[in-house]
Amino acid sequence: MDVRRHRLENGLRVAAIPIPGLLSAAVLLAIEAGFEPLGRPGVGRLCALTMLRGTTTRDAKTWADALDGIGAAARLDVGSHAATFSAQSLGSDLDVLLELMAEAVMHPAFAPNEVELVRQQTVAQIEEDARNTRAVAESAWRELVYPKGHPFRARPIGDVDVVRAASADDLREHHRRAIHPDGAVLVVAGGVDPQQVFDASAKAFSSWRAGGSREERKVPDARLASTVRRIEVVPDKTQSDVVLGWPGLPRTDPRFVAARVTNMVFAADTFASRAGHVVRDELGLAYYVFSTIGGSLGQSPWVVRMGVNPINVERAVSTTLEELRKIVDGKVAEEDLELAQDKLVGELDVARESPAGVASLLLEGEVFNLGPDYAERYPRELRAVTLEQVVEIARAFLPPDRHALAIAGPPLPERD
Amino acid sequence: MHALEARHAPVVSLWVWYHVGGRNEVPGTTGMSHFLEHMLFKGTPKHPKGDLDKLLARYGALWNAFTSEDVTCYFETVPAERYPVALDLEADRMRNALITVEETEAERNVIVSEREGLENDPSFLLGEQLQAVAFARHPYAQGVIGSKEEIKLMTRDGLYAHYRRHYAPSNAYFIVAGDASAEELLDRASAAFGSLDAEVPIEPPKAPEPPQYGEKRVIVRRAGGALPIIQIGHKAPRASDPRAPALSALAVALAGATAGGGEAASGRSSRLYRALVDTGLATTVEATFQLMKDPYLFVVEAHLGPGATHDRVERVVLDELEKVARTTLTGDEFGRVRRQMLSASAFMTDTVTWRAFRFGQLLATGAAASLGEWYDRLAAVSAEDVRAAAESVFQERGRVVGWFVPEPS
Repeated sequence: MDVRRHRLENGLRVAAIPIPGLLSAAVLLAIEAGFEPLGRPGVGRLCALTMLRGTTTRDAKTWADALDGIGAAARLDVGSHAATFSAQSLGSDLDVLLELMAEAVMHPAFAPNEVELVRQQTVAQIEEDARNTRAVAESAWRELVYPKGHPFRARPIGDVDVVRAASADDLREHHRRAIHPDGAVLVVAGGVDPQQVFDASAKAFSSWRAGGSREERKVPDARLASTVRRIEVVPDKTQSDVVLGWPGLPRTDPRFVAARVTNMVFAADTFASRAGHVVRDELGLAYYVFSTIGGSLGQSPWVVRMGVNPINVERAVSTTLEELRKIVDGKVAEEDLELAQDKLVGELDVARESPAGVASLLLEGEVFNLGPDYAERYPRELRAVTLEQVVEIARAFLPPDRHALAIAGPPLPERD
Repeated sequence: MHALEARHAPVVSLWVWYHVGGRNEVPGTTGMSHFLEHMLFKGTPKHPKGDLDKLLARYGALWNAFTSEDVTCYFETVPAERYPVALDLEADRMRNALITVEETEAERNVIVSEREGLENDPSFLLGEQLQAVAFARHPYAQGVIGSKEEIKLMTRDGLYAHYRRHYAPSNAYFIVAGDASAEELLDRASAAFGSLDAEVPIEPPKAPEPPQYGEKRVIVRRAGGALPIIQIGHKAPRASDPRAPALSALAVALAGATAGGGEAASGRSSRLYRALVDTGLATTVEATFQLMKDPYLFVVEAHLGPGATHDRVERVVLDELEKVARTTLTGDEFGRVRRQMLSASAFMTDTVTWRAFRFGQLLATGAAASLGEWYDRLAAVSAEDVRAAAESVFQERGRVVGWFVPEPS
């Protein structure tokens, strides 16, 4: 990949990857968005969504007209302490797109009527999520694993009481404190010229200044002392959603690449992973089963998710844990490891088929400061992981007899 | 067989589109095409189950399949040098799938599980009923996945007969896009598929939908959701109809080119977003015109905001549909619609997988003979075409209205 880098005076780092022959450009702006105020989950997302509803120079309708006027797609996703503004436009419209994104990031209006609208939508979504088995299982799992006050305890959508109580001033204050250019990264890939990217980003973002000092807080450690389980009955559903997992490890941990390989050996894929293959393909217990390992500055969830008929839940969970036990006991074939490594390396090639895929490949290395040669180095690091490391990682982070299990759906059958 | 050169990434994406789907089924066997799609992943004599799966996984392939009312489709996006492996897989399973009794039984549970997962979603439950009520005779009424009871009754022999009848070169489109010349891509494909025998030509299903003479309504009451939902369908023409490009533009004018919840910022200048979401009457709204082989539905779906009633939201939607059918879009508005369509087309064709998908979809549904032809037809749509298409489709006589009414737990 032909990556060109530039840094604005305010600290914003810009990376451009031209892909000849394409008309469109994918844009990712990752912002290290600070922490939400202690005990107030939901403020960050409320702030982010209101940033998309009008600026100090254009009201919500005018901003939306301008975005649709260039036919751009854009969305702003927020986590507990990071936000990603992702967008796509024609390469020829990049300057307009970046200007609109910069306005939303730097000068949101937080108009009272817009705050109310976003609040109303968010409350409705929280109520809907209370009947959504996946969302209920996810929330229950987080509450089992992360203690009160931990930034990963609540889903980004937050608590309904916090969302109901947050004022426009609260959001303004959060924006001032949390949305800063230092630590932020802008990646643009596609039908663009690097100089065009640097000029347009400088024009749009060079006046971005930190509004206040950011509170430095470390993500507290999380640890499971024993197996914890919770079952949530959601009325009038036919399938159970299951989340089985452990607190993971920070992306900056030197063992993270080995953990990613371990995840693939274990359950990340139906065809390339042991548990995925057995639970779905051999036993037909679930329509979907896959594991993910979150990459953040803290111990994001490392979880297996499954959609299972209530009568099969116990068997699907025990089968998954059995496969994990084999890994922990060192019963992993060299072939399992090679398959997992091939899959992860092969995916990097296939991801290059789209500008969004290319931008995503680059973003991780930029956000976590993994070095300018990260994209070239990463496949080699995946290949270098050994069987011993996989076993060691599984023992350290995925103890089968100390897990957190959340199940949401119809009542489960009585256990014998 | 059709090939497109796409040189910006070292990958190849190939798609096999079979002309078989929910539309080719009869009561008692609904869901058969979808069940069969699952069975095509269970091996052949040459490649036992797990053989090629692992090989493709090893290459980091993006690969899957889907079944719709009209087609069953299989695809692989692989590093370019692995194109022959994917070709081998598709050519082999076109005629040689094993479909054993044991695998059929094991997969039945997976499909029931898939169905149960869908049943957890109120939007699916309402959509299934809306479709069933909309069509009195046409098999589109049956949907795709089939009822749980029929999935449980599906036999191995029935599936195998369905397979032998419909899976043959004479009943499929092969599309490939990737990092090689079109000629080379086609030569390799011809070598892989050329020796396979054609089947007896299949007559398209003969169950045309009779005219509808007034609005139909359906209500689904479940405790499974917190928010009420409304879906309003209008009978709409098939993909090959001259109005299809204008109806695609109409969907963009009503709800934008890309759907999304609160996190998505695009499409907010559209008519229904302004009338429903900006006013708090709904949390999300979508408008969909699908490219289909036979006349289907233009569907508007809204998830109601707190305190909003079905009556009120239905009235607002119908008012907006009536307005767009009566008066042409303003110049600015139509400019935004055109620009969203142009950009959405570029986003799609800039991804190798989606470029191949789009081409296959146009061919398989009869919408156009090439990507270029379709984009030219989209570009030629005028504001008056959009109004006229709306007027022809948004008729009370072709309407079906569905309400999802959440019940207390």
